[in-house]
Amino acid sequence: MAIVYSSLVYLGYILIFPGFLFCFVAGMLITGIDRKIVAKMQKRVGPPILQPMYDFFKLMGKETIIPAAANKTVFLAAPIVGLAAMVVIQLFIPVISTPILYGTADLIVILYLLLIPALAEIYGGSASGSPYAGVGLSREMVTIIACELPLVLIFLSVAKTVGNAMGTGLCFSLSDIAAYQAANGSLMLKASMIPAAIAMLLVIPGETGNHPFDAAEAETEICEGMLAEYSGAPLGIYKLTHAIKTFTLTALFVALFLGGIGTGIVLLDALIEFAICVVLTIIFISLVHAVTARLKIEQLFKYYWTAVSTIALISLVLAWFGM
Amino acid sequence: MFKNLITESTAKSPWLFHINSGSCNGCDIELVAVLTPRYDAERFGFKLAGSPRHADIVVVSGPLTQQSLPRTLRAISQVPEPRCIVTIGSCPQSGNVFKGSYSVMAPLSKYVHVDVAVAGCTPKPEAIMDGLVQATEILKEKRKAWLEAKKNGLKDGPKAETEQEVPAAEDVPASGEEVQQ
Amino acid sequence: MTNLLSYTHFPVYSIMVLFLGAFLVVIAGKSKALRHIFAICAVTASLACLIALIKPVMIDGEVIAYWMGAREPAGGYAIGIALEVDALSLFFGLLIATAVFVSCCYSITYMRFDENVSQYYTLFLMLSGGVIGLVLSGDLFNMFIMVEILTFAAVALTAFRNKAHGALEAAFKYLVVGCIGSTCILAGTIMLYAQARTLNFAQLSAFIPGNFNTSTIIAFALLYIGFSTKAFIVPFHPLAADAHGAAPASISVLISGVLTKSGIYGIIRLTYFLFQSMALGKMQFLLVFIGSVSMFVCVTMALAQHDFKRLLAFHSISQIGYVLTACGLCTALGISAGLYHAMNHTLFKGLLFLAAGAVLQQTGTTDLNKLGGLSKRMPHTTVLFLIGAFSISGIPPFNGFASKWMVYQATYQKAVESGNIGFLFATIIALITSVLTLASFVKVSQSVFFGQLPEEYKDVKEVPFGMRFAMGIFAVLCIVTGLFRELVTHYLTEPAARAVFDVGKYINSMLGDGYASAVMGANAPVRTEVVFDMAGTWQPIHWLLLLCILLLAITLVALLGRYDTVSENKAALAEGKFDIFFGGEKSVPSQVGGGDLFWGFKHNWRHYFSFMHDLHSGIVNDYALWAVVALALAMLYMLIVL
Repeated sequence: MAIVYSSLVYLGYILIFPGFLFCFVAGMLITGIDRKIVAKMQKRVGPPILQPMYDFFKLMGKETIIPAAANKTVFLAAPIVGLAAMVVIQLFIPVISTPILYGTADLIVILYLLLIPALAEIYGGSASGSPYAGVGLSREMVTIIACELPLVLIFLSVAKTVGNAMGTGLCFSLSDIAAYQAANGSLMLKASMIPAAIAMLLVIPGETGNHPFDAAEAETEICEGMLAEYSGAPLGIYKLTHAIKTFTLTALFVALFLGGIGTGIVLLDALIEFAICVVLTIIFISLVHAVTARLKIEQLFKYYWTAVSTIALISLVLAWFGM
Repeated sequence: MFKNLITESTAKSPWLFHINSGSCNGCDIELVAVLTPRYDAERFGFKLAGSPRHADIVVVSGPLTQQSLPRTLRAISQVPEPRCIVTIGSCPQSGNVFKGSYSVMAPLSKYVHVDVAVAGCTPKPEAIMDGLVQATEILKEKRKAWLEAKKNGLKDGPKAETEQEVPAAEDVPASGEEVQQ
Repeated sequence: MTNLLSYTHFPVYSIMVLFLGAFLVVIAGKSKALRHIFAICAVTASLACLIALIKPVMIDGEVIAYWMGAREPAGGYAIGIALEVDALSLFFGLLIATAVFVSCCYSITYMRFDENVSQYYTLFLMLSGGVIGLVLSGDLFNMFIMVEILTFAAVALTAFRNKAHGALEAAFKYLVVGCIGSTCILAGTIMLYAQARTLNFAQLSAFIPGNFNTSTIIAFALLYIGFSTKAFIVPFHPLAADAHGAAPASISVLISGVLTKSGIYGIIRLTYFLFQSMALGKMQFLLVFIGSVSMFVCVTMALAQHDFKRLLAFHSISQIGYVLTACGLCTALGISAGLYHAMNHTLFKGLLFLAAGAVLQQTGTTDLNKLGGLSKRMPHTTVLFLIGAFSISGIPPFNGFASKWMVYQATYQKAVESGNIGFLFATIIALITSVLTLASFVKVSQSVFFGQLPEEYKDVKEVPFGMRFAMGIFAVLCIVTGLFRELVTHYLTEPAARAVFDVGKYINSMLGDGYASAVMGANAPVRTEVVFDMAGTWQPIHWLLLLCILLLAITLVALLGRYDTVSENKAALAEGKFDIFFGGEKSVPSQVGGGDLFWGFKHNWRHYFSFMHDLHSGIVNDYALWAVVALALAMLYMLIVL
């Protein structure tokens, strides 16, 4: 009986909270709020907050065309794999400071797991055979390279700071980082972590491919790049993956830097986490979206490897000297 | 439940794909005006899509020149079902002032079924918006028709309307519901 | 005479059968079947001998000392020819034997259209025997002989398809620089012999560490450079590119998976055993520095390539950089990580080269700008290639990730423990190199396997089963070693790491108990326990379980919806509907070529790339000069440091 119960709980984690269903709702709402806020900033009425949901369900009902030049299997499988990989990441991220599934993946693994949804998109686009997808995947890959350096520096400095404080010298475990913050207050309060937090916030729009950094999906220029040949349900799944990615990355930020503020009650924490994620999205994605124009890919790369990386490096150096 | 949700969503999230088939650019900038803060088509869920594969509504402007006709038709055929075709301005309906030219192939309804035709040279943004909103209703009808057909056993839904016989050039009335300015 | 079937004889059998096979293949003459039987039997027997040694050496921790003709040391001098197999030797031996076995399976179908195949198998078996002899040898001069055998066999095999463009040139370059390397090893051996009056590895290991003088240090530098040329690490990387590009794919597997490993093995033996100098921070710095430079320089060089095999060749050196960096840390975790990565590199790089060979055989080219869309014609090869590509780019849960993850932990822990910020840069470079590796494999898959199929490759067929089978072995191993990280570390890399830190046992099992402390006195190496803690966790199976449940759930939901009712180009439906969207134009085959795919990255690094372009002139004189300069620098550095 106990086994059945625990496996049901496990399935509940995966499929309902904080897994698939929660991600679905949270991601959709965050994207909806983002679109609404951008519209408000441009003095428009804007779409309803549930607009991403409508988009998603509409796409579910559309015809799915497979181009003659495409590799059918990869073309159809890539979105599903990407979505599943995206949701799995969410399971490893503590809800503020309560880890749900621990002991599976650490910070470095998260860094690599974040590549899988992007890779799924790249391979799906690549399999469609469209030349727009070729250009798009080239830009997407450069975006990934661009964001990788600051992310690496941020993660290493977090690992060092928590390790220093815990006496082990270095700590990659997400649940340990959460436990440390629950005991000693948020990492955000440490002087050495402030630059890392800022850099992380600057990385989020690039990593999710939001507006000034969306050279890979420039719909006016290269027809949404890798998605150019997608229609119907697979396209909807990609849109959903994007939405969840926004939520996942902001939730990762919360878990890494704002860990200490939870109440300890998981459901309440999830609401608080969601609220913080919304605020972060509004400031660092919507605002940036509304006031900037799209960067060229080489500008994007330069921005991340110079400005953002320098900020993250400051944090690493400070953490190295134990501040 | 999901079927109804999808049917409802079909009307609430129409994505546009705009084809310029030799237009003078007048209608094109009016279409852009529809998306500006003043008219804000996004409040109905309208969005300009980059690729015909993403679109629900194909917006055609221009008098269909000889060069652009096959390209227009190809792009239209690449739009997944259910889809709506909306023409903007008088050119795709009748050829407008270009009628009779050796290189103008208007009207579009000779080649494909046009769902909504917004007349005017150029139509006002309000008129375009009205036409687009009517098109969303038609989208919903098409979705319902598809569900009905599926219930009656046709697996692939009703036959696509694009392969209708091309009628003779002269006796084609402008089809669809006309929206007066 | 002891029982001939006792496992103590297995090391010599594993070498002998290969050389024996080499002669039998010639005797077999024109008979194709006989030739294949001899070759397969030889490599299988060799692999089996080494696998049988896992129990005594890896699990029981024995060190097998074997004197040829039972000429045991007399009067304190080891004159006879000796083989000595500790866990480190066996670890590399197993890797090599596996790669040789798979490559041999592949060759049977792959080489079926070539002429003079009996010479091919002779050289192939000589090369394999040479490498296995090298890693099992307990004697410096025998090592040199094996180096010579393998170098010349490799040069001849590089030029085997000598009608192909560039094959002779590549072989010539390899010959020149390879000879410089071999000469260095010979000179180093002579200088050590002059000092120590012995060539036995164990005896040298006991004698040298207490007797550093100018000639031993110069010998060290010579040997280091000699083995560097075999491992193709910076500054010898351009040779690898030429050699891999020109050689048949089955030989590229050996050059990349086997020859480079023999170089790494030589460097580990040299630094940890012969000179026991790795406790010095400056020596650690040397290896980590060279490793990191190899990693970064070669991965950027690979990004600039537009030939499939040359690209793989540069990646090969880049991955060797990881191995060297991790092995240069002188920590238990570092050695474990390095050896793990060495093993994984053999597996995934072998797989990738075989996939490149399959593409070359079916299309006749490896130019990334000409190929495209092969996934529709060669689906199995594509899947196998993707497994290799994900492994090398370190995508979880494949094996590349498991070992890279350990490398990052090892370098960062070393940085934290030693307080040296230099090791931190090694971690960062390793992480960045990994994503650049991913980028170039995205480029390969886009421009070879996906995208649109060019007209001229419309009729390409899948490769025969024999080749897919060989690739399948590597692919399965890639997945297994990725999923069962703990088993691999427990049974393979940890015993080998333990052997690296147990020099005393190595000496004593050769020359009798107490020899090390008698000769070296207080300096006798102390056995250090191989224990390490991970700063993080990674459970691939758990992750895979989660992913599978979700995949299942999403697929079910998707299938209940309309995901299965997709439109395909079954009948002639509406014209153009299933064409690629091309702005309304009729779809023409248009492939985004691989030549300059990541220009957004390259544009920002254009000065670096143009500098690199000028530096790699392709002239053999330059590369020989690099070798000499590297030798001079190594001597200078070691004279200052030691």
